[in-house]
Amino acid sequence: MVTPEDIKEYIKKIPPTPAILNQTIFHVNAGDLNKAARIAEEDLALKAYLKTLVNRPIYGFKNEITELPQIFSILGANAAKQSLYNYLLTLLSPNKWVLFKMNQHLFCDLQADLSRNWHNILIHLGVDDKDIESAITLLPSSIIICEALFKDNIENVQLLRSAKNLDYNTILKRLTKLDLFDISKYISKVWQMPESVGTILLASSGIKPSMDADLNKLGKWMHLLLFYQLSKPQFIEAGLNDFVEFNTEYVMDIYEDFMQLMEVQS
Amino acid sequence: MRAVVKDGIGIFYPQGFLDGNNAPSYLTIEDINATEHLKVDMLLVSLKKVIFFNLNGLDVFVKLLLRIRTKNHISVGICDYDHKKYEAIMTYYKDSLSFSLFKTSKIAELFSSSYSVKDKTVLLYSSDPSQRSALAIELYDHGHNPIIAQTKEEFDEKSMHEDTYYVIIENTRLGLMGQKVATRVTGNAIIYTVSGFLDAEISDTFNIAYHTNSLNVGFRLFIFDAYKVISMNVHAVNFLAKLSSSAAEYNATICFVGMTFEKTPVAFKNELEDSGLMFFENMDDILKDKELLEELGGSSVAVVKNKRSLTKTIVQELSEFIDATVSTIEMMTNAKAVKKSVTMQTLVIENIEDKMASSIGFYGDIDGMIILIFPSEVAKKSCALLIGEETDDVNQILDALAEFVNIIGGRTKTLLSEKKISVDITLPRTYATAQSLLEVASSKKGVQVDMSFNDDNFTFFLTR
Repeated sequence: MVTPEDIKEYIKKIPPTPAILNQTIFHVNAGDLNKAARIAEEDLALKAYLKTLVNRPIYGFKNEITELPQIFSILGANAAKQSLYNYLLTLLSPNKWVLFKMNQHLFCDLQADLSRNWHNILIHLGVDDKDIESAITLLPSSIIICEALFKDNIENVQLLRSAKNLDYNTILKRLTKLDLFDISKYISKVWQMPESVGTILLASSGIKPSMDADLNKLGKWMHLLLFYQLSKPQFIEAGLNDFVEFNTEYVMDIYEDFMQLMEVQS
Repeated sequence: MRAVVKDGIGIFYPQGFLDGNNAPSYLTIEDINATEHLKVDMLLVSLKKVIFFNLNGLDVFVKLLLRIRTKNHISVGICDYDHKKYEAIMTYYKDSLSFSLFKTSKIAELFSSSYSVKDKTVLLYSSDPSQRSALAIELYDHGHNPIIAQTKEEFDEKSMHEDTYYVIIENTRLGLMGQKVATRVTGNAIIYTVSGFLDAEISDTFNIAYHTNSLNVGFRLFIFDAYKVISMNVHAVNFLAKLSSSAAEYNATICFVGMTFEKTPVAFKNELEDSGLMFFENMDDILKDKELLEELGGSSVAVVKNKRSLTKTIVQELSEFIDATVSTIEMMTNAKAVKKSVTMQTLVIENIEDKMASSIGFYGDIDGMIILIFPSEVAKKSCALLIGEETDDVNQILDALAEFVNIIGGRTKTLLSEKKISVDITLPRTYATAQSLLEVASSKKGVQVDMSFNDDNFTFFLTR
């Protein structure tokens, strides 16, 4: 089915961060949002992405926001950096989805929902850190990797899953000794994201807790947030609800807090 | 979402949050149709990976379960929950709880007739005396040994000796159990469990296709466990008489065990005896009497007198069977499987020591049986994807081998359906030793294909 060679091939194809994006991120990190916006103007696809992103209902703006300086100013440094990484991830996503019933629009919806809710979680937890805010952007990469590696094995996976309750992450791990989150962490290195991003991401898998209690706690929140999002009807219908295994025990200590924050009522 | 099927139990595994808004998205029309056609005797929804649910969400699944129970006469319920979830379910359905609740899927297995493991000692407690009795009776009927705690104090005390019991049963309730005639295999005999009043409905609840296939693959002894039968009418008598007559054509025997004729005309018994059906008071009268067992055909499937040979159609489709096996091996091992030799012969197993096997029957437009024989180490490698970790636990390996041959059966079914050949598959069967396989299949003629992958050899055998 999927072999270690397939993973090597996939990793080889991960593009480095484009130069314009690199410079934009550099200026966001330095706190110069005006300069970041001016550089971002040079990449029309990036500009279009950011415009569409901030005008999604979840951001709640009444009037359409069209100018990049305004977008960067509204987002602020943390959310701007997060959005730039979200854009970077769309460069990895397929033009046509086969394994999951997804499309570009739905994928961007998922990114926006995750980013916005993660932002609220970090405020709730009193965490103000650009890198940690950006960590959420890499979470959906596991979906893109899963699509790429399994899209040619749909029938095989269906047969296997009819006999045994196995998620894609477990199948991949058993076949190749690497799982989706290991590959996501590798992507974070290629894109020169900080080490903490990779650590939170691994912890968010629900099977690789971190020794660092603070980062592990963030991993738990991310794990629960992922399944909160994947329980939305559109993502269940897309086949994403059980692509990785949900570890309910792992998140039990933050569950009540999460439910209050998300205002989920029985 | 599709149910995962194992040992005759289908289980849905939703994850995350389950509410009225998202629950319908789990079940497409295709999923519902596929569920209706599942060959299972129990259908469950697992809450193991559900962190939040409400009545509206759960009810979407419950409605499906109840619909399937009405249509297919099977047991349905919910499993894998903690005390808090159990309390929530009891609150939601307090006046209308007609489905079963099993704290774990391991507990549910004990109540499934297709589950092969018997004779387990379990500790049981329910605060509801009628449930306590119902659970104990069902467990006993399924061949287990329930230790019943009459009070919570007694239960807490006995629970401290956890290792004494296969499983501790609490927070579990039985709803309406399935009315399908339950089937299990004991040695080389097939046992059907029937209960209550037998009438014309038996022709709906009895799986005639499974019975015919069992005859075709060589089973010669069929026992109706009728301890709980109160009476029967003329329609049931006619059905059983026909069943017995058709079994005679295969030299097979049908027995009725445990039925008293207090409320049934003795003339019915005479009529059934005339058609060849035999009556016994106790199951052990047959199963523990080796001579009688041999006489009745239950000592070995190999006693079949009229051996059935492969048909032209099966031979024509041989490549489909081999392709299904090869592609499954390749999928599970990521290694290339190579065909070494193909011969028409009776089954030959070289170096009989340390080998395991599994088989699965198929029936429909064509019928027969696929057998796979592996050295134990190769079986482990072949099933590594299913097992997940290194293990020497024979039961775990056999369990995985059953899943493995089930996948091959499923793939064969798909490949044949593309050629407009419709077949169904039976439950898989496993053999811890090659000797136990030979007792069943040594005289069978078929196509033997010796194969290898990564220099490991295994044998595929296709027979009828």
